[in-house]
Amino acid sequence: MSTEKHQSETVPMIRIEKLHKSFGDLSVLKGVDIEVPRQQVLVIIGPSGSGKSTLLRCVNHLETPTSGKIFLEDKLINDTTHSRKAFEKHLNQIRCMLGMVFQQFNLFPHMTVIENVMEAPVHVLKQEKDQVRSRAEALLDKVGLRDKADAYPSMLSGGQQQRVAIARALAMEPKAMLFDEVTSALDPELVGDVLRVMADLAREGMTMLVVTHEMGFAEQVGDRVIFMADGVVVEDTSPQAIFSNPTEARTRQFLSDILK
Amino acid sequence: MLDWNIIFHYFPFLAKGALLTLEISILSLILGLIFGLSAALSKLSRNFLLRNVAVFYIWLIRSTPLLVQLFIIYFGLPQLGIDLGPYISGVLGLGLNVGAYNAETIRGGIQSVPAGQHEAARSLGMSSALAMRRIILPQALRIIIPPLGNNFIILIKDTSLVSTITLVELTLTAQRFIGSTYKPFEMYVMAAFLYAVLTTTASFLLGKVEARTSKGTR
Repeated sequence: MSTEKHQSETVPMIRIEKLHKSFGDLSVLKGVDIEVPRQQVLVIIGPSGSGKSTLLRCVNHLETPTSGKIFLEDKLINDTTHSRKAFEKHLNQIRCMLGMVFQQFNLFPHMTVIENVMEAPVHVLKQEKDQVRSRAEALLDKVGLRDKADAYPSMLSGGQQQRVAIARALAMEPKAMLFDEVTSALDPELVGDVLRVMADLAREGMTMLVVTHEMGFAEQVGDRVIFMADGVVVEDTSPQAIFSNPTEARTRQFLSDILK
Repeated sequence: MLDWNIIFHYFPFLAKGALLTLEISILSLILGLIFGLSAALSKLSRNFLLRNVAVFYIWLIRSTPLLVQLFIIYFGLPQLGIDLGPYISGVLGLGLNVGAYNAETIRGGIQSVPAGQHEAARSLGMSSALAMRRIILPQALRIIIPPLGNNFIILIKDTSLVSTITLVELTLTAQRFIGSTYKPFEMYVMAAFLYAVLTTTASFLLGKVEARTSKGTR
């Protein structure tokens, strides 16, 4: 697995350059540079308020970067040379290639599980409904929820809803997946099922950008871990190195705080 | 007591007036939904002009009486060379009026849908318009329908005001027969009964619609 994973092509899947983001006077990201090679699972950890969720949300432009550049392969995501209308279109195309999973699941409550999964492929990509349905069923199978296809989200547990949300993002056949603290809103006993789905996905070679507090996941599934604090990357290394031998004092402090 | 002969004789005529009332109600309901949705979306839009036109429209209608609005359209506009006649004046006046109230109801419903729903839709590549149509409005609908239904019930009763601009609907039909029969009590009781039939039927149908839009809620 590892040899294949490190044979990444020359262009990284995601490239973030000198990213700054402020909300009014509050500077949340202060110059972040990150490259995510193809098929890498990059885990971002850090204290709350460190800017890690904002970073993720800048990648698919749910937040507008204040300055800096973000590329998906060779395409500049925040390309401001477009007219407003053309930019909207460009963004929608980019977002079709970037799956996102949210802390609060955000399933569409007025649609059944399978309708949630089918919604975007049918109405955004305009794909054939029957084709999408069989793919959606396969995806639900994969996340272990085939039997819930016709249930409404409100009838599912949080863990089940989150797995549907992952299937919904995968139905667009994205090039990369963004996970924004996807287990933080879950009861502890439901976390495992969601992490297992994510580990499977990593094994299949999905490029993943994962913001999480699950250190076990970072260590076992991550190819690389970034520790962020106060809007900058403090440490960027392998999971083994960061957990056994963190170089920066702030990383050591953070890890000792949460592993207490 | 009630003169039942009068009632039996005149009921069919009043029922005919009630049919016109129903027709006016439905047409102004449709207009009111179009005006209401347009004004709600305009008020939420980023476009400065659209937003302010909507704010002005809603303010103007809600701060003046319906009766005066109808008089301006029917009696006032002809002075400017715009003569719409009683029927169109009535439907337009009622539609504009209920539209302003609907606008605030619809806007409130749209804003009550959690922001995460819009973000999830956008993250799947949906345009703003598609997200509104497929994700936000269907969810807003189940919040909007009950107060919108309430507006509609009020609208049915407010149609009686168009009797003042010579539109021979239920109330004006009753008034006209009072002139020839001198039986105001029978006539107005019949009119009241027919309004009650219309509004009660409308509430019943709205209950059905509400049940259909609450899919997925526990």
